[in-house]
Amino acid sequence: MAAEKPWRDVIDADALEKNWVTRVDVGPRRLAIYDTPSGIYASLALCNHGGADLCDGYFDGHVIECPLHQGAFDVRDGKPVSAPATRNMRVFQARVHNGKVQLRL
Amino acid sequence: MTDAIVTPLTQALAEGKLSRAELKSFMQRSDAPAFRRLAIWVLVLVATTTLITLAWNSWLIWPAMFVHGVVLVHHFSLQHECVHYTVFRTRWLNDLVGQICGLIIILPHRFFRYEHCDHHTYTQTAGDDPELISLPQSLGAYLWYLTAIPYWRGKFTEVFRHASGNLNAVEKRFIPKVEHAAVFRDARMMLGVYGVLLLGSILTGWSGLIWYWFIPLILGEPVMRFIRMTEHVGRPTVPQMSENTRTNLVSAPWRFLCWNMNFHAEHHYVASVPFHALPRLHEKLKDHIFVEPGGYLAAHRDILRQILRRPDTSGA
Ligand code: FES
Repeated sequence: MAAEKPWRDVIDADALEKNWVTRVDVGPRRLAIYDTPSGIYASLALCNHGGADLCDGYFDGHVIECPLHQGAFDVRDGKPVSAPATRNMRVFQARVHNGKVQLRL
Repeated sequence: MTDAIVTPLTQALAEGKLSRAELKSFMQRSDAPAFRRLAIWVLVLVATTTLITLAWNSWLIWPAMFVHGVVLVHHFSLQHECVHYTVFRTRWLNDLVGQICGLIIILPHRFFRYEHCDHHTYTQTAGDDPELISLPQSLGAYLWYLTAIPYWRGKFTEVFRHASGNLNAVEKRFIPKVEHAAVFRDARMMLGVYGVLLLGSILTGWSGLIWYWFIPLILGEPVMRFIRMTEHVGRPTVPQMSENTRTNLVSAPWRFLCWNMNFHAEHHYVASVPFHALPRLHEKLKDHIFVEPGGYLAAHRDILRQILRRPDTSGA
């Protein structure tokens, strides 16, 4: 069995926008971190439909809506919620530990 | 770092025309403004329908059908807002209301949604923007477009093409493969609903559909063509949103009918902003966009000036 990827600090939990999406750059990757009523979630920041930055989109509950064409994804599992999004977005395991948001990247 | 694509919004944020906090506040959704507006919308429809009934046995039925038709064709504006999920905060309500509007004006909702995505990506780019209306080559071409005959011809061809399981090359570009079957199904269902209604009319001998729906729609569509032309026609065919789109300042009744879509450049800048916040967004962006203070009529004066100035190359 492949070893689980290690947790990696990406941002202070306090720095997240409450009930909204926050942009974080980690190495070569641009990530979107979501503060939701049921916890913290994370995904790649660029929409897999046309490459717009989801961090400029509208966030409501668990749904991130792309700013360019309003395609939408459920941030808990990456599933597409509305067209033109048809493919799952890439999500990452996330947790808050010692005041830091940590991801398995 | 993988960079996001550059959009009017990313540019506005980068250039400081809009802050992130402002963007967030403009984007907030709510069901209440839409329900309030829809309640008035229904009252307006009841009023224009009543006008037709009252004018039934006189020539006044024609102006009554025209007025009703002008309201009917503005279901396009509501459907357009639904395509962007900006009418209701509750997402499925946008889908439901959008489908109903589409049924009224013969525009399958899912198809329009995909087509409209490319309009936002490639606004005013010839060959790529599937909704681009070219600047007419002559006065005759301008008037021909305004009859809405070319529009209806295109729409009917489109719906029948989809119902028969075909897409043209441009449509294949913007509709993903996994959605082809659904687009075909939508078109068939739409034609099925019309078929059932027509059959019901024939069997019951009730001609109301023709007088309250078909003829008003035909009479009203030139007005919608007139309005749609003001959004981009005559503006430069360049990618810059500050140039290629026209915001038209129009009176309150027109703003009501078009769900504030006269603030068109603002809408193209940030398509996630709901109709009720567009006037506020206008205040924020008005110095960075092209605004036509004289409204739809002034926009057409501008379009006509450009048509009459250019040599007639239509060969007519
Ligand atoms: S780029 Fe995100 S929905 Fe099109």
